Amino acid sequence: MTKNTPDKKDAPKADSKKPETQSILKKSIKDLELKDFDALEKPLGTASRPFPMWGPMRIENNGRTEIETVLSFIADDNEPLRIYSERPYEEVMALAYCDMPVPSMLPIFKDGIERRGDPLQRQKDILEGKQPQNENFNRTQMMIGDPGHGKSFLGAMQGRLRAKGSVEIYDCGGKNMNDLLFEMVLDFGAADALPKAIDKRLKSGALEDMSLGLLNGLPEKALTKEDGVLKGIDWAYLKTAGNDEVEKSFNILSKVSKIEGLDNAGGNALGMNSQFGALIRAFIDKREIVLDEYNKSREGSDNALQTVIQFLIGELRECTVDNPLKNKDNTSGPSSFTFKRDDMGAGFFVTFTGNKTEDGTTTRSLNKSVYDRLKPDTLPDPDVIDWQHRICQMMVGMPVSTIYSAFKDQADENPEAFGEWLLRMRETKAKVEGTPVPELQQTLLSNWKDVVQASEKLAMFYDRWATLSDAEKITTAAPDLIEEVDEEYSKKEGMSFRRIKQHLEEAQPIRAKMQPLEAPVKIDFGAWTKAPARGEGVEENPSLNYGTRLIEYIERMVYEKSGSVGKNKLYGKLTKAMEEYGLRDIALKEGARSNQKSVEESLNISAFADRDINKQANMARKIFCNFVRQMDPNIEANDDEIITPKKFADALKHVQSKETAATNELFVTNRDPEQLYAGQPLAEAIIKDAAVYVRENKQVDFDLDDLVHHDDLIASLALPTVGAKNLAAIWDQNIRPMMRDTAPDAPAADGTQPAANQNGAQQRRNDGLSMAEGTSSHGIATTSLQVLYSDDEGERAVSVHIVRNTQRDKTLVVGEKVPSKLLAAFREAGVTHVDRNDPSAQTKVEAALGDLTRGMPAVVKDHLMDAFKYRNSVQGGAEDAKPELSQVLTDPSIEMYFPKYVVKNNKPGPR
Amino acid sequence: MTETLKQVGAAAAQQNAMERGTRFLPHGSRLFTVPAGWEADMIRRDKGVLSCGSMLELEEAMRTEDAPVIFIPHDAMLTDADIEKICQRNGITKTLFKEVRT
Repeated sequence: MTKNTPDKKDAPKADSKKPETQSILKKSIKDLELKDFDALEKPLGTASRPFPMWGPMRIENNGRTEIETVLSFIADDNEPLRIYSERPYEEVMALAYCDMPVPSMLPIFKDGIERRGDPLQRQKDILEGKQPQNENFNRTQMMIGDPGHGKSFLGAMQGRLRAKGSVEIYDCGGKNMNDLLFEMVLDFGAADALPKAIDKRLKSGALEDMSLGLLNGLPEKALTKEDGVLKGIDWAYLKTAGNDEVEKSFNILSKVSKIEGLDNAGGNALGMNSQFGALIRAFIDKREIVLDEYNKSREGSDNALQTVIQFLIGELRECTVDNPLKNKDNTSGPSSFTFKRDDMGAGFFVTFTGNKTEDGTTTRSLNKSVYDRLKPDTLPDPDVIDWQHRICQMMVGMPVSTIYSAFKDQADENPEAFGEWLLRMRETKAKVEGTPVPELQQTLLSNWKDVVQASEKLAMFYDRWATLSDAEKITTAAPDLIEEVDEEYSKKEGMSFRRIKQHLEEAQPIRAKMQPLEAPVKIDFGAWTKAPARGEGVEENPSLNYGTRLIEYIERMVYEKSGSVGKNKLYGKLTKAMEEYGLRDIALKEGARSNQKSVEESLNISAFADRDINKQANMARKIFCNFVRQMDPNIEANDDEIITPKKFADALKHVQSKETAATNELFVTNRDPEQLYAGQPLAEAIIKDAAVYVRENKQVDFDLDDLVHHDDLIASLALPTVGAKNLAAIWDQNIRPMMRDTAPDAPAADGTQPAANQNGAQQRRNDGLSMAEGTSSHGIATTSLQVLYSDDEGERAVSVHIVRNTQRDKTLVVGEKVPSKLLAAFREAGVTHVDRNDPSAQTKVEAALGDLTRGMPAVVKDHLMDAFKYRNSVQGGAEDAKPELSQVLTDPSIEMYFPKYVVKNNKPGPR
Repeated sequence: MTETLKQVGAAAAQQNAMERGTRFLPHGSRLFTVPAGWEADMIRRDKGVLSCGSMLELEEAMRTEDAPVIFIPHDAMLTDADIEKICQRNGITKTLFKEVRT
């Protein structure tokens, strides 16, 4: 192992604040002084920093009081939870909030904190001359629950809250519990020279064949093999693998040592010895230990532990245990050990964990005396709030949902401050972990409301999945599944925290994905021997399609775990649950869109969604400068030389402050060198409607040169803030007034259609109008604009067609070819741009339209066509020869009548 | 290269690795992959980072208090299962970066 030594003047990142109290927990409790308590005591759950807590509480309902389990908080300056910790206060807070156990485990967490604190509090009372509040000397906690519930995590987490070091997790499974007190070990000497020498030769392939053969005979659990070839040896496990295994390993390693000639080298010691076991070592070192899966230990092997347990729970002041291994096989070692309460360290504590006895044959029921003494807490089955809590922890590194639930009113009142508070805690935890907060988590945290909403739906779905895959629960919850879900299936495929973890892990990386069946594809049949030239890379922000990746993975798992293995009823129920809880789409029965976001939408978060205007300005500036340089390759200036961050931030703030939707004013990129160097990256533009000029019987007062260039309009749609502002200001406001005599009124703000007596034709026209105006209750709209374009054929006005789904914030733009540097930004902006000259343009538009109208009635596309026709001259044939919307959107010959021109905003005139 | 540049480089390399997704390990530890090249070099050379090529070394690194970040070179004698096993028996949160050859 190599460590990069830091310069003395520049300490490691995670160690910038050396705790002044580093060794206090290594003191015996009786030796603690009052100043030690000042340094150690960290209150959790005070009036200004409440801590969520779950538990039964008397609640008044209609004049009657009933006991209910609720999520509340501890907020008491006089009697908070007291964590006696070597860590700085902010680290304790960050870890307690970020690594908080799931709500149903919070009472056990509280109990554990109090048990750890009681003897210390007693000592403090004595030092202060008070009557001790408690005589609790119990230094144990036991919890029993399902695998993967987080038992050992909770035990270790409470240890980590107090000390910086690692908490030993001793796996009791299959082991003799006497080994906790005294164990036979392989002794390699202080520097582990022999293991290191063998590792080195194994890695370089220099081990003799005979040695390799012998090493393969070591205990299976200590060996790592790949394709049957020995890759590594778990020496730490081997050292203490149990008496029989240690003896066997000693013989093998002695032979290997001789074959390799390592027995002659100084320092390559190999011996076998008895030593204090893990529990005694933890007691001596005054640190915490977790005895994991205690009830999977070897039957009858914990007899010698009974008096030790009596000591640990405070029934005995001291107890002595003898070493049964002493002098066995000529080994040396301690002959006995005496546990004394006076030697009990401030940092010592034992957590026992156990699995429920239903968890397979290796789990045994413990003696009644053990249960009586350790009084285990049985963890309840996870509830929806628990699933949600854990989902949030895995997604953003902290349980946003639980924290929000506890402080809902204040969070709703000041969401910005709540979000900043969450991020600060997450950053402190990241500091402890020595790394920055992952960008995906930062983005999700800044959109914490989406995370809460999505995690709630996911939690309800997983809770349903857990019920439907539980052979016991389906007998009442879904009896028709009895034939498909048996106990074996429950054990193998039942929903658990571990499975959710796997789903969330799989959703994070951006991977190759299958294209839709109708997606365009073109194979190059030539030059198979050469690697193909790849298109310009478009880097994707991982949060942009995180929701889509997650939902697609869940859909796949649902199918693989049910439909594909013939469990069709289960598959039907799970897909129904996916719909019910809005994993992919939220659609009301009438086909209208709900204001609620689906899980997919909530978790597809664009970097543009960051509310910090300065961050937006930085992103926009980068896109802008790349665009400017690509448009004119002679420009070699760097970003700062093109436009300073402050100037761009000022420009964005100006855009943000303007109300432009009603006036059809736009902001487009400004490539005029003089204005640009004067600090104006954006130019104002306005939509001028030819229909208005006709109605007012006026000649147009602008010409081709006054039009905004196609690329400047398109680029503006790729800029955060600017794009959103422009997309709100392009909709028709003039058609309905001009049709006042025949057209019905616009729909109300809530999307309801006002005219009760509309006939079918009127209704359809009204729907089409609403889509041209951007007011449709489906949240979808389309319009067309005319801009300047120049290419080999010269300068001319061209159309840009826009179809937008406002609820999902997705837009299709069909126009001319655009600079490639804008493509990544389009993704962030939710814009799909299609070059109408692309041979696959129509297929691409069809795919984009399919996505934009997903979950909407089929008639929506007809209404979109109607809306399109308000501005474009579509030659429709007979009903059966009607052109498709995708066809007209990409057809360059379609002409606009009464075009809406995007004009540089320097000339007044009718609009 | 100045210390500041090294730190910025290491932070950028860590952030890039984190974007590729994580494997959640016991006790809150996380395993990220980092392609061999400048990013792996930056992380390996970052101050206080422990580089572990074997289970013995990883076990020792897990027990080292002031080393929250661990680097695992591509030729380490460690499988992902080994890493998970060692994280399970050491109740501490570490961030692990594993070098991979693409």
